[in-house]
Amino acid sequence: MSVAVYLDGITKRFPGVVANDEVDLEVEAGTVHALLGENGAGKTTLMNVLYGLYRPNGGTIHLNGEPREFATPRDAIDAGIGMIHQHFMLVDTLTTAENIVLGHEPRKWGGLAVDRERAEREVRELSQRYGFDVDPEARVEDVSVGVQQRVEILKALYGGADVLILDEPTAVLTPQEVEDLFGVFDELADQGKTIIFITHKLGEAMEAADDITVLRDGKNVGSVDADATTREELAELMVGREVLLEADKDPANPGEVGLAVSDLRVTDDRGVEQVSGVDIEAREGEVFGIAGVDGNGQSELVEAVTGLTTPEEGRVSIHGEDVTGLSRRDRIDDGMAYVPEDRQERGLVMEFDLVENGLLGSQHAQPYAEGGRIDWTETRGHAEAIIEEYDVRPPDPDADAKSLSGGNQQKFIVGREFARDPDVVVASHPTRGVDVGSIEFIHDRLLDLRREGKTILLVSSKLDEVQQLSDRLAVMYEGEIVDIVDPDRVTEEELGLLMAGEIPEDAPSIADSTGGER
Amino acid sequence: MSFGRLPTDRRLLAGVAGLVLAALLAVEVLFPANPVTDVGAVLVTIVADANYVSSVLRLTVPIAFAALGGIFAEKSGVINIGLEGLLIISAFTSLAAAAALGGGDPNQTQLWLGFGIAVLVSTLFALLFAIVCIEFKADQIIAGLAVWLIALGLAPFASKVIWGQVNSPTIGTFNNWTIPVLSEIPFVGPVLFDASPMVYMLLVAVVASWYALNRTSFGRWIEASGENPKALDTVGVDVRRVRYTGVLLSGFLSGIGGAGLAIGRVGQFIGGGTTMVNGRGWIGITAYLFGNYNPFGAFGASFLFASLDALQFRLQQVGYNIPSELIGIIPYVTVVVVLAFVGRTRIPSAAGDHYESGEE
Repeated sequence: MSVAVYLDGITKRFPGVVANDEVDLEVEAGTVHALLGENGAGKTTLMNVLYGLYRPNGGTIHLNGEPREFATPRDAIDAGIGMIHQHFMLVDTLTTAENIVLGHEPRKWGGLAVDRERAEREVRELSQRYGFDVDPEARVEDVSVGVQQRVEILKALYGGADVLILDEPTAVLTPQEVEDLFGVFDELADQGKTIIFITHKLGEAMEAADDITVLRDGKNVGSVDADATTREELAELMVGREVLLEADKDPANPGEVGLAVSDLRVTDDRGVEQVSGVDIEAREGEVFGIAGVDGNGQSELVEAVTGLTTPEEGRVSIHGEDVTGLSRRDRIDDGMAYVPEDRQERGLVMEFDLVENGLLGSQHAQPYAEGGRIDWTETRGHAEAIIEEYDVRPPDPDADAKSLSGGNQQKFIVGREFARDPDVVVASHPTRGVDVGSIEFIHDRLLDLRREGKTILLVSSKLDEVQQLSDRLAVMYEGEIVDIVDPDRVTEEELGLLMAGEIPEDAPSIADSTGGER
Repeated sequence: MSFGRLPTDRRLLAGVAGLVLAALLAVEVLFPANPVTDVGAVLVTIVADANYVSSVLRLTVPIAFAALGGIFAEKSGVINIGLEGLLIISAFTSLAAAAALGGGDPNQTQLWLGFGIAVLVSTLFALLFAIVCIEFKADQIIAGLAVWLIALGLAPFASKVIWGQVNSPTIGTFNNWTIPVLSEIPFVGPVLFDASPMVYMLLVAVVASWYALNRTSFGRWIEASGENPKALDTVGVDVRRVRYTGVLLSGFLSGIGGAGLAIGRVGQFIGGGTTMVNGRGWIGITAYLFGNYNPFGAFGASFLFASLDALQFRLQQVGYNIPSELIGIIPYVTVVVVLAFVGRTRIPSAAGDHYESGEE
């Protein structure tokens, strides 16, 4: 078989970081190749180099044996490379066909009009050839995310792509849509297309790819045959050491209900109901997990619980006391800490230094403030304590939040929130985009709080995380809780079904089994 | 897809009904001595008059041209709130150029030359605005305000330099184009087939704009450039060029509107106060928002606003003295109501944002 893409010693430096360090990559024509690695391993950077978005600082790109240089994506597209980004490059107000032919519209009447019949016919033919179900006349904003992704793929194919790069294509899909996508990969590969997809999920890489290349810290740490490798080998390559697949977790010792949510309904800005009657009772000394594909109402649920939005209906209470009408600040005073899902948008003020960021949420409270004046000595000491305890790097309280890496930003937020000595912790994707070391650290701190008898609500789309940490696990789908299961007994397959809104026959449901006798 | 994305016709219908009702109510409150039935009868007489409709069409010209221009600019992603300034510049330039060519009494050819020069100057002004916004990434709103304020100061000043006063002398206007036979049709004839060339140009421009936006590649690119410029960039279409074209078109079309107002209808440049343009560029913006960026919708809204303006004159003539200020705010109130309640005027997602190729 011939080699379609050969990257030879690609190096890409950004100010202060080496994102790709002499990376080699060899992809055979007509195969599916997974680029596996943790967040920040340099996968997307490498593909952006191949796609002409970045100029490499060193190394060469070979396409079908020829050395090539791409100054812009246009050059890469002309050479037959198509890239499907994580955020789709689609125009919502145009139809799928209009998007697919954008920039290459077939014309009639001497170029005076777009030949829409021809465009739609060509799109329909292309769509059928690869077994896609895409309606050329539908508006992009009216079709599902899975279909939008196919529109992106068709757009690349229409542009003449032979090599398709997909950046985290499964992140936005339901498990069923993921299956369909992998079917599409096979079909494309059978018809001679070469596919490179980026993922940080080793299960997906093993399932969908023929070959897997693992990146770690910007280096290629190994390329393996997907059929001849094991999960353990891949995991080890990814993190560079044996992974602790189990966190140290004592048996649960649940007490009173710490955080209760009853019949909660939340409507978003557009008037669409996102949370439809959710009931939760999280107990002291318990981690109550919420799993689900992103966008099934978890964010809205958390916002209503923490006081960032007002629910249409329902009640939120802390230790039996109704806090539904209380502001965010009142809830902080009532002992609710919150690790937000978007640390740069909600967790930190990026332009502030760590001293100021450490004060956020306590700016009105003793001992940091009195009578409207802030005690900066006290505040600085507080920031220094967080930095010390949570190993935030660089250990400089005067550094601006934006100068820290994502993982260190997250550690600082977690430190600040846990330092409130909270009764109830709401943690939303607390380890998203965080390196392995920090993940373990944050997990341990969460379990410490659990041991101290705090109530913890944990929302995450990472299955292993919620499964490992939770004592009970609720699965959300389209704004409702499909089921509450025992995370130690539920299988990944069962969780997958639940996340797609189906209840498997023998799911280990537990409505409130840890409640016990009171 | 004959009327764009949304049922613009229905929106307009609702708008018209609401406005007529509001006008009747206002009259009822202001003139309790005359019962509404009376006013209704007067209104019907006015509206059914061919002269009235003709004058409304002429009043529509500057508003609708500004609106069409604004559509191209904003759909491409550059909000041009300097339309008012472009109207002022072209109104002044047309007069100055025609007077320079033909003295106090230019002939039709000289008027047309003045018209052409005015359109060119307005387009050049728009080019300046585009360079500042696209090349130097100036805030579009501030740059647009600057265009207006500069025009508002520059035109009367230049008038003073040339004519010694802010108003120009009166010169001729374009002759009407009368189409044989068709102009004999009752009502329709005098309105549509014995009209100012500006009216014909407007009708052509509305259809051409709709066609360009909805049927050509360029229209798709304008849409993409305002909605998701990166999507356009990654398929190899130069977003900057599309945006330049959109803004230049806004200058070109506003130029026709402003020159059409000055030497198409009035025959003079009036530079006092808010100048003869008197907010028509701003109303143009409300018109395209009301019309949801659809050229037909924008034309309908312009026509509606112009008809209210004309109605107020007529009502004054028959003894109902409605303050013109009250009528003047109706377009703005309408647009606020439409944006807030009737809803779903869809502003292009990337309008107002700078776009730099290659940025992550």
